[in-house]
Amino acid sequence: MGEVIAMENLLRHAEKFFDEVEIAVYRSREVSVNVELNEISMASTRSGAVTIIRGIKDKRLGLAIVDSDEPQRVREAIEQASKMAELNSRDEKWVSLPEPGKYREKPEPNYELKEASPDILVEKLVKAIALAREKDKNAVVAGGAGGVSWEERRILNSHGVDVFQEGGASYMYVELVGRKEGVVTPGIFDFDARRDLNLDVEGIVERAIQKVKWAYSVKASRNEEVPVILGPWAIAGLFSYALLPAFSGERLVKETTPLVGKVGEKIASDVLTIYDDPFHPLSLEPVIADGEGVPTRKNVLIENGTFRSFVWDNYWAKVYGTESTGNGKRDLRSGGINIGFHNVVMENGKRSLEDLIGEIERGYLVDGFQGAHSSNPDNGNFAVTANPAFLIENGEVVGSSVFLIAGNVYELLKQASEVTKEQTVMPFMNTMTTPYIKFENVKIVGK
Amino acid sequence: MEALERALKWAEENLKAEYIELRYEDLKKTTLGLKDGVFTSFTGKLHRGVAIRVLANGAWGFASTSDLSNLEKKIEEAYKLARAVAETKKERIELAEIKPVEDFVKSKMRVKPRDVDIEEKVAHLRELEKLLKEDKAVKSVQIRYEDGGGRKLLLTNEGTRIEWDYNYLYQGTYVTGKADGKLAMARDSIGAVDHGWELMTEIEPNEKVKERLLRKMHSQLKGVAPKRGEWPIVAGPIVVGIIAHEALGHLAEADLTINSPFKDLIGKQIAPEYVTMSERIVEGGFGNDKYDDEGVPVKDIHIIENGILKEIMLNREYAHKWGMEPNGHARAESYRYPPIIRMRNTVFEPGDHSFEELIEDIKFGYYVVDFRGGQAQLNSAFQVGIQEGYVIRNGEIAEPIRDTSITGVAIEALKKISAVGNDFGLEVGFCGKGQIAFVSSGGPHMKFDGGILIG
Repeated sequence: MGEVIAMENLLRHAEKFFDEVEIAVYRSREVSVNVELNEISMASTRSGAVTIIRGIKDKRLGLAIVDSDEPQRVREAIEQASKMAELNSRDEKWVSLPEPGKYREKPEPNYELKEASPDILVEKLVKAIALAREKDKNAVVAGGAGGVSWEERRILNSHGVDVFQEGGASYMYVELVGRKEGVVTPGIFDFDARRDLNLDVEGIVERAIQKVKWAYSVKASRNEEVPVILGPWAIAGLFSYALLPAFSGERLVKETTPLVGKVGEKIASDVLTIYDDPFHPLSLEPVIADGEGVPTRKNVLIENGTFRSFVWDNYWAKVYGTESTGNGKRDLRSGGINIGFHNVVMENGKRSLEDLIGEIERGYLVDGFQGAHSSNPDNGNFAVTANPAFLIENGEVVGSSVFLIAGNVYELLKQASEVTKEQTVMPFMNTMTTPYIKFENVKIVGK
Repeated sequence: MEALERALKWAEENLKAEYIELRYEDLKKTTLGLKDGVFTSFTGKLHRGVAIRVLANGAWGFASTSDLSNLEKKIEEAYKLARAVAETKKERIELAEIKPVEDFVKSKMRVKPRDVDIEEKVAHLRELEKLLKEDKAVKSVQIRYEDGGGRKLLLTNEGTRIEWDYNYLYQGTYVTGKADGKLAMARDSIGAVDHGWELMTEIEPNEKVKERLLRKMHSQLKGVAPKRGEWPIVAGPIVVGIIAHEALGHLAEADLTINSPFKDLIGKQIAPEYVTMSERIVEGGFGNDKYDDEGVPVKDIHIIENGILKEIMLNREYAHKWGMEPNGHARAESYRYPPIIRMRNTVFEPGDHSFEELIEDIKFGYYVVDFRGGQAQLNSAFQVGIQEGYVIRNGEIAEPIRDTSITGVAIEALKKISAVGNDFGLEVGFCGKGQIAFVSSGGPHMKFDGGILIG
């Protein structure tokens, strides 16, 4: 309780320096365990607090970040932010910080994550290494990690916003490399992430081992047009860079999104429905408020192929004359707020991945893309290398391959023909919860 | 700092650890983000904390904290973590011996960014934006500037005591242009640890940055799609650098070498004898330093020397494992992270061909100048997005190309290098390997007779 009052006092103090001001406090603890070459290499803990001050005086913005929540250092940061605001130039577009909103009921946090001991992670990773080695003598657990993080965040502003949220998540991944008969497979990854400690060690290892097995048989690729199934990792990579930025309201204002004027238009195949929803059951961060205290909600981006809406933070919404959709994400490096997503969900389908593979005469299953971050979000153009990718012949995976896909994400969206029942959460650049998606007639360049 | 010395002394007396390392940072940073006329970040940052790394019973434990009270307890926590890990290990971790160093590392900057008024920094960024927006095709400009400076200390139970006057600055600029309904994006980055504000005013003044960005943007706007396939390629210093870094450099990081094709190639000829690739201190290099974060002096190494794969990057742990001398490549992003093996400045060394000689025999091929994003796999397969490139036709540079990428397997592509230019260029950037590190990469122009696929 003492801390709560202390922060309120600091807010009162900060109000003397600014017309409006926001204080965001993030307290976190993380334990993690790393794996290198079939052995646990290190166990770590990280703990600390970060306080961010965002103040506005005469439409001049000032920000300060301090690695602490001690009142003395927060006061220093307030003064620093005030100095920054004095030096900044006026932003004529500035309207105001958010007002308090109506929040959903907070999800019950899983407190076992708060005090999780690294021993649990050590035990799970030791088990994963042993399992992988047992299932495939030629595979090396080249790397891996497990971690549990816990964060408490409080956002207060001078308009009365005061939201406290806490929660945590756990994750684990392994990277296997197989060596057999002169073939060295690329690094094969698999992972799990969730809001409790029941990480699926067997599942992670099984899926990774399966992919290593496929990768031992290297098949040449060729130039052709074939059905391609993209896995969750590939989708999260490509869409994070080539597609998702286009839904930003800021880009609408600046006309740097190809979606300008396209609300209500068909931009994707009927099988695709995409929304941002922090409350999806697989979401890793079920936040009720975004980084600046605006209530979060489910925002539909694409519904059965039709483009529905842009997403907004407080600043750009007010510039444009609309409401924030609760998509203000805190950039902990600069302290500012950017438009971002909480949990982008690609709706899943009815049939399994196995069913989809079973119907393909010749095609590919792509696990990961290299080079997705060189995509151009201004127009959706991308050129990526599918690696690892697996060749499907007569309804079965027969080996692994590497090829290029160069194209445009909006053309690709129209080529989607089915989504699988399986759905995975990918804590990638944007957290995405996605099924496998099959695309028809994808032009690939062999190598 | 007394509290650190006291805590270290307590740990030496009370814990049975082989190695204890405390790394303290107290830095002030300034981040300015200018987006189309508005500073969306205008931030002062105060970073202070300690990284604690303990080797006990042959295993590592690590703790990072911004709470400087009761450091003894935090060291003990790292110690306990190490002991818990040790129980699972078959092989004990040992460290290569080093001579403990006591030193103060002075900054080489002429004008430290922290001594420059923020008004001047703001004016500088605004000027760059204005210069860029004078071009009618420019739709959007985003500039991210950051500088930092302060004190960094390294103390170990072996007697190492190093203090750095640590400083850096960086500027990344992103431009979106539009013409004839086409959108294009270009980026540029400059930064330094040895040059101060003089980087912005003398070495890379706004005019120069503007010219580069507009050239890249217009080449995209006017560009045509390239013909997909394998053609002769001349790669400029920036592209050569990204191949050196992404596709080859990572394989020479000892922790990754073990799982890479490099493992079995050390001592072997992997490229023509006129190809040499180094990891070294470079004038203006963003990865320059005197010591690494384990207190090991930074040494220049040749990863590839006259075509032979020779040396790899090491920290103390891997140096012991491989029976080699550590060479100063253990780096940590901040007190939040333990040091890991990282590159600094990865470069191909110049040869003796002029640029004209490189292109004169090419009937049809491509000249790739600059990239946007690159990535590689441990088998040296790489993928690099190209933001500036041109057709080479009948020995001459012709029309620009747009939105494309090059891919290949670097170990194969190395063998196809047919000529090495006599020039040299460098670009600064950030490398992500779970943590961010300041790096540079570069080299001369180089000609590849195949081995690289465009499209």
